[in-house]
Amino acid sequence: MRKIVFIVFLMLSVGYAQNNEVLYDFAELPQTLILNPGAEVSNNFYVGFPLLSQVAVQGGFSAFSYYDIFASNGVDINTKIDDAVQKFGNAEFIEVNQKLEALSGGFKLNNTIYLSFGYYQEFNSLIKIPKSLVDLAYYGNSDINHNYSVNKLAARAELLGVFHAGISKKINEKWQVGARGKIYSSAINVSSKRNAGALKTTYGTDNIYKQQLNNVDLLMQTSGVFLEDEDGNIDVEAADFVKKMLLGGNLGLGLDLGFTHNYKEQWTVSGSVLDLGFVYNTQNVKSYQVKGDFEVEGFDLEFDNSNAADYWNDLKDRFEKEVVLDTLYTKYITLRPLKFYGAIHYSFGKEYDNCRFETRPGLFSNKVGVQLYSTLGQVHSNLALTLFFEHWFNKHFQAKVTYTADSYTFANLGLGISTQLGPVNLYLLADNLQYLSNLYAAKSANVQVGLNFIFYNNN
Amino acid sequence: MKNALFGYLFLIVCCFQSCTKAVDFDQIDNVQINTNYIVTQVFFNLEAPDFLNEFGDELNIQSNLIETGISGGTDKYLEKIVFNVETKNEFSRTFNVTINLFDASKNLIYTLSPTVVIPPNSGALTTQIEIPKKDIGLVINAQYIDFLLFMSSSSDGSIISPSDPSILNFKSYVELFLNYTTE
Repeated sequence: MRKIVFIVFLMLSVGYAQNNEVLYDFAELPQTLILNPGAEVSNNFYVGFPLLSQVAVQGGFSAFSYYDIFASNGVDINTKIDDAVQKFGNAEFIEVNQKLEALSGGFKLNNTIYLSFGYYQEFNSLIKIPKSLVDLAYYGNSDINHNYSVNKLAARAELLGVFHAGISKKINEKWQVGARGKIYSSAINVSSKRNAGALKTTYGTDNIYKQQLNNVDLLMQTSGVFLEDEDGNIDVEAADFVKKMLLGGNLGLGLDLGFTHNYKEQWTVSGSVLDLGFVYNTQNVKSYQVKGDFEVEGFDLEFDNSNAADYWNDLKDRFEKEVVLDTLYTKYITLRPLKFYGAIHYSFGKEYDNCRFETRPGLFSNKVGVQLYSTLGQVHSNLALTLFFEHWFNKHFQAKVTYTADSYTFANLGLGISTQLGPVNLYLLADNLQYLSNLYAAKSANVQVGLNFIFYNNN
Repeated sequence: MKNALFGYLFLIVCCFQSCTKAVDFDQIDNVQINTNYIVTQVFFNLEAPDFLNEFGDELNIQSNLIETGISGGTDKYLEKIVFNVETKNEFSRTFNVTINLFDASKNLIYTLSPTVVIPPNSGALTTQIEIPKKDIGLVINAQYIDFLLFMSSSSDGSIISPSDPSILNFKSYVELFLNYTTE
């Protein structure tokens, strides 16, 4: 029980990455295999259009939207900023995620095994901002005895390429399982987590106030950011980053696992765990660590000009001695943020042609269900619950509507459409559609588009 | 296929019909954020021997020059600086503290006004010295600060006894009032 509580605590307190609530298990798209290597796909083989099979951009700020600040509603902007600061949670975050699938393909090896492979590039960044730092910047430090803490301050950014190959195996009519191996090639990594320390002003003994830095322990690890050569020169081109993302960077390994279980004819449960892996940062590593405690009540004047004290330099020396800044060149490992997907859905409705023949024997036209998404990382965590309805209008056109409660909003409306004309498959997914009449009110946005060539067995 | 076309058309129309609620990004020019920071400053606790030289004569004027360490910052957002002083005097003498600012060549560039007056046998007294916006540039560019301590002579010509247990306390902090604007 304690283990379960601990895991739930971790899931709620740390982690990060973007949710793909619309794409998950949608229309048997090949890209669903990236989210669940145990997903069911019925095509014979597919090839993603190079660089266009999945283009995804997502960004958001959990604290407030543009509209909260810039609405033209007669309210003074300073009042709106004040409201936004007051409503700022204990720790809000800004994130930007981008993914570009460069190569993608898959084929049915036999009646039970499907192989898929590819390469994609992704950029993820997230900064977690504690309320106390916002208070310090906005109100100042005049709140005596208040701890302006950096404990929730964390950041992460990475640019990497991922080579992957997966296998999906149908065990029997009820079970499908899959796994995907990954090689990460990281070009840039910045990681700052588990920071500690606080600035505090208290009443002093010798002076009116005493100012303290307590238990400061900050660490920012970077690799691939500072690219000086041995002589300290920087000569970097975009091609260098591309090279680093093509196995020339810091390498790592990862594993995805997934399953689909049709436990009744119309009921299906599926789930996956993604990015169970790490990157070992060995190249261009440079990290900064600040540690220490410090307090000052001010300069104690001695009025002794025969032995004049060098107040400022003494203070500076004491600060540097007590709060130590180290530059580290130690290799480090970053764990990839774990992602979990789980879903249960109920299928119903058959498609019939004009002569009342089933157009797709054995398949249902509608799916309704619930999805759960969570990340477990070292910087931030997300938990999202999605209700969805998917409808196959015909074999050429499928649509999925989602309603998600996540870290940004309790009402995120998403829509995905997928068309198949001959072998050409085009899909477009977006969420936060409830803000389409006013995009500025959205705290986040997620758009994905992709083009595949999918070949089915005509029999 | 009609459904597919309708679906894409729906999403495209939605996208082009969006962003219609009125926002005014020019409001950014009206942003004003008022913040104030407290920075602890100098203090001293002087006893009777501190006012006597090696010959037992009174030191009626003493000074303490401090190099500021930080100077030349911007005063763009500084609206006001308030120097807050709290004093306590157990001596039967009046003390005055004058704070002078000097440039790098040690030329006097500014004197904080008013002078801090510490009456004899006084309990906790507070003095506020407000530096107006027009003088802030001088203050933040000062390289040296000199604290001049004047002690009045006794009315009967007596000299402070080295064994006098009295103490003169001086405590201070500065409040920086900032007004961030985007203009």
